[in-house]
Amino acid sequence: MNNTWGDMAQYDPVTWNWVIAVYLFMAGLSAGSVLIGIGMRWYSKDTLTESPILKAAAIIGPVAISLGLACLVFDLTKPFHFWVILVNYNFQSVMALGVLALLVYTPLGIAYGLIVLRDELPKWGLGFLSPVAQMLIGWRKAIEVLLFILAIGVGAYTGFLISAMNAYPMLNTAILPALFLVSGLSAGAAANSVVALLMFKVDNHDRELSRMHALELPVMATEIMFLFMLFCALYFKGGAAAVALASLTTGMWAGVFWIGVVGIGFGVPLLSMLMPAATRHTKGAMLMVACSGLTGVLALRHFILYAGQSYIY
Amino acid sequence: MSKRYVMVHDENKCIGCQACNVACRSENGTPEGVTRLQVRVEGPFGQAPNLHFKYHRVSCQQCEDAPCVKVCPTGAAYVGEDGIVTIKEDKCVGCMYCVAACPYKVRFVNPETKATDKCNFCKDTRLARGELPACVTVCPTNALTFGDANEPDSEVAKLLNTKPSYQDKIHLGTKPRIYRIPTKRGGIES
Repeated sequence: MNNTWGDMAQYDPVTWNWVIAVYLFMAGLSAGSVLIGIGMRWYSKDTLTESPILKAAAIIGPVAISLGLACLVFDLTKPFHFWVILVNYNFQSVMALGVLALLVYTPLGIAYGLIVLRDELPKWGLGFLSPVAQMLIGWRKAIEVLLFILAIGVGAYTGFLISAMNAYPMLNTAILPALFLVSGLSAGAAANSVVALLMFKVDNHDRELSRMHALELPVMATEIMFLFMLFCALYFKGGAAAVALASLTTGMWAGVFWIGVVGIGFGVPLLSMLMPAATRHTKGAMLMVACSGLTGVLALRHFILYAGQSYIY
Repeated sequence: MSKRYVMVHDENKCIGCQACNVACRSENGTPEGVTRLQVRVEGPFGQAPNLHFKYHRVSCQQCEDAPCVKVCPTGAAYVGEDGIVTIKEDKCVGCMYCVAACPYKVRFVNPETKATDKCNFCKDTRLARGELPACVTVCPTNALTFGDANEPDSEVAKLLNTKPSYQDKIHLGTKPRIYRIPTKRGGIES
């Protein structure tokens, strides 16, 4: 404090920190993983066997969202009053609508996980949950459809959450929910392949796995296009919005963007496509590509949250 | 007719003494390290010897279309019957959405209550007793005027009708109720 008017610390425009970035990542990851798992089940028309990818999604979906919500609760200034947010609703608030969606999505994700993993449960010493899974199985179709719709909502919601703030030109854009939904899909695909490869010992040449990998390029292309559209919108809007583009060239977050998002997140998976097919399809290469994708998405959430909050109208 | 409380800060009369800042702190028991109100002395602007400073009041703008109220998930940030934007402490969980969403960056977490806090025109204390907000009363140069702008004979209504004024960041559509009379340069004529 060295001005006559006092401490300026509270005026830092960066209000939400990395804990929120991790939550945004986890929510996107959970939604993306579930969307891909269920989507591929519908596409394959195989309703008899549970594919390793669906099993992976059945774990990642509920686990990622629960970890994300834990981040969210402990980031509150009054974490033990979190129940207040569950009983009071302002329907104008994106956060309140998100709470409602998550209140249904999370238990539904757990229920769906139990259904998909019903044969796995006894192996993991969770046999006591088998009767619950058996009880739920009759509801499978309804749970599946509702969960799929809610996953779209949750994936887009994290984008709506921060784009609702008109104080920040980089966040207050229409493309953010779409960008977060698509990057959630790429995180979901990457995490599904990691878990399918490591936990469910899927074959490297599994048909479903190859089909999911085929999705990655178009998803990534959409993500790159959305990012480009975001920056163009800022550039042409001018004024404070154009000033926010400085985050691409200056400061720590420029590094996070170019190294984390572009280099690791897009570069490594794209370059891996140049490797000979035999090398590309080894377990190690697939894991490396998936982990780079996940790192890129985590970096994207950090970049958008921090750079977005650093520039104010 | 409904009330429309506004405050006018005459930047010609302001000397940046921070008496308002101190009076606010004492009236509202604001803990150390955080503040509801400060007057930033910005500048100097211009070429010597014609330099001038700008006195910028930083406090809740009491927006008529308040982003903090819109984003608050629990309704802790609300608009009262008198139109004043305030916080219900027990409904606030401290998600910081309002702190982030405020374009004026005037909301903060009160370290004692852990709820968000900001200027509410001394609504529960001085205003409830029929007195003017602490900052208005204490100002030694009468740079602050407070009242109901819907009342045609009020001091604020007359002031806004006769002097040019501006508000901060009106392009965001927040309709702030802090009006500012800009500094007239060139010194005081006798």
